[in-house]
Amino acid sequence: MKKAAEDHIKDKRFELLIDLLLADDRQDISLLKEELLEAKNFKSKVDPFVDAKIEDLRQNFPVYFGDTITETIKVQIKESQDEVVEALYPIMGKLVKKFIASEIAKLFESINNTINEKFSVKSIIKRFFKGKKTKAEDVLQEVFEPVVEELFVIGKESGLLIGSFSRGNIADKDMVSGMLTAIKAFAEDAFSKEGQDLEDIKFETFQLSMMNFKSIYLATATSGILNAEFKDRLTDSLNNLADTILRNREYLADESKLNNLLEEVLKDLEQK
Amino acid sequence: MIAKKVLLVGNFGVGKTSLIRRFVLNEFSEDYISTIGVRVSSKILKVDSTEIKLLIWDVAGTSDDEKVPKAYFMGSSAAMYVFDLSRQETYTNLEERLALVKELSSLKEITLVGNKKDLLTGDELEAVLGSLSTHIDLVTSAKEDDNVEDAFLALAKQSLK
Repeated sequence: MKKAAEDHIKDKRFELLIDLLLADDRQDISLLKEELLEAKNFKSKVDPFVDAKIEDLRQNFPVYFGDTITETIKVQIKESQDEVVEALYPIMGKLVKKFIASEIAKLFESINNTINEKFSVKSIIKRFFKGKKTKAEDVLQEVFEPVVEELFVIGKESGLLIGSFSRGNIADKDMVSGMLTAIKAFAEDAFSKEGQDLEDIKFETFQLSMMNFKSIYLATATSGILNAEFKDRLTDSLNNLADTILRNREYLADESKLNNLLEEVLKDLEQK
Repeated sequence: MIAKKVLLVGNFGVGKTSLIRRFVLNEFSEDYISTIGVRVSSKILKVDSTEIKLLIWDVAGTSDDEKVPKAYFMGSSAAMYVFDLSRQETYTNLEERLALVKELSSLKEITLVGNKKDLLTGDELEAVLGSLSTHIDLVTSAKEDDNVEDAFLALAKQSLK
């Protein structure tokens, strides 16, 4: 009985000792539990807002940061031009090479077709009787055949369109004639000496030519390669055309009559 | 259909281009005006029973008209001189300016139009009109589309004379 009482006292002392030794640790654990709980509560409250904000950013990223990123890229490209060129150079090179190869293939095909045609029995007999010899120029001429795409008869001072022939689809030829006259007047005023007229405007394989007469000028837009022979033929045709129009002023007053004349002139030019 | 070349002249900023913008649908960029000093627009009108296509040459206004190629003025059938009712410097020496346009274009009459009416009160407008020594044909407001069509109709009628 006495032993049992002693054991009980020992247990109590042991528990007291545990309490004394672990008091601080227990307090820390309790604090940690509270903090964890608080964090969980906070997370559950904040999570929907954060998710909504992330979704908003994902949806509207270009709106919020587009300008900044564009500006940053611009600055980056400007400051690292050499690196950009080095990075793009091989790609550009490949693209250019591919384009040239494709164009050369088309050219080969076109030259082959022309040569086959030129050296056919029919063509040889035709040339034999005409006394013409085959020349490289003759072959190339067929490949890059010049074509009159547009022909305008325009009032020299007013810029008003008097008549036209068109293979293309120009929306408002009157406005084009006006602007062409304005550009012509501007160039003549800015660059030429007294009495000189603007005659040609070239852009790659397209050429605008203007032939000036007293009250009108003829504007032609041609595509293809214009060799000397074609230019001579075209000049002759246009001189004759102007002569016909200016001798018979009815053409200047009757647009459809003039348009028919232009079509005939160009047909003749093609057949020559 | 008859086609006529007509001119729109006047100082910078008086609203010539705004009048045209209000009146026609343009195909050419306004950049042409600052590049070569002119832009051509077109509009089909009916005057009485005659259908007429106006090729409107909007000539850039400069303080020194000598700088505009003279060829822009040639071959025109009518011209409209536009000034800004709210800026006195655009309507001082009107007679001299009109005389210069007449000399360059060989036209006998010029339609005179005062634009930007919307910037003036009734009294101010009366005072400006009273101060002018030249007869003014029309008062317009491109902004409020006031009298714009009438101004071009007057120009078309003048071109048929």
